[in-house]
Amino acid sequence: MLLQTKYFGQVECSREEALCFPRGLFGFEEEKEFYLLPFEGSGGSLLCFQSAATPQLAFVAMDPFSLRHDYHPALPAEELRELGAEKIEELCFYTLCVMRQPVAESTVNLRCPVVINPRTRRALQVILESGVYEMHHRLSEFGNKGGEGPC
Amino acid sequence: MLILQRKTGESLLIGEDVEISVLAVEAGRVRLAIEAPKSVSILRSELKNAMAANWEAAEAPPLALLDILQRGGEQELKE
Repeated sequence: MLLQTKYFGQVECSREEALCFPRGLFGFEEEKEFYLLPFEGSGGSLLCFQSAATPQLAFVAMDPFSLRHDYHPALPAEELRELGAEKIEELCFYTLCVMRQPVAESTVNLRCPVVINPRTRRALQVILESGVYEMHHRLSEFGNKGGEGPC
Repeated sequence: MLILQRKTGESLLIGEDVEISVLAVEAGRVRLAIEAPKSVSILRSELKNAMAANWEAAEAPPLALLDILQRGGEQELKE
């Protein structure tokens, strides 16, 4: 199928690649289906959640583990169950970005990652309980070295 | 700001038709019961903040950045 996207024009996508967000995203509860598309040349560390229903709706996302090696999200059992996972290690995490100029002023939301079960392609945005993570971490607070996430 | 103390089982009224009762207090958590008309929206404040953060993230990046994004230069972004 052809997907209309905010950043890439028309993109050829397979329905199987769609991610199902049964609860949508916070503030976008009606948006149940997104595609995760990498920005070319970013080595997979800069991506975009593109809404299937709304071409103009897309979120820039990053791998939180590449920003902070010690990122350690914890999920309650009910959220794991909702994602169809037994262990947190089965899941992939992405953090949504607010892009700013200059770029160092851009922020990422480490408190509310998007969590994906790659096996079932179900996804959920969560609010982490831990008091460690904020909804606006400036990119400038992270070093330039990227690490490898679990996915 | 009004600050008051309530014990488990006690409640308080806000306006004519909103009642908040304390059901339990344990391990630093308070369990509340809220009775209010359907028209009153009740949100955990972090949820409201999470929604606001997403609305902000959904805005288009500055044009100069958009150009970099579409060319896909993460290195450029990190500089």
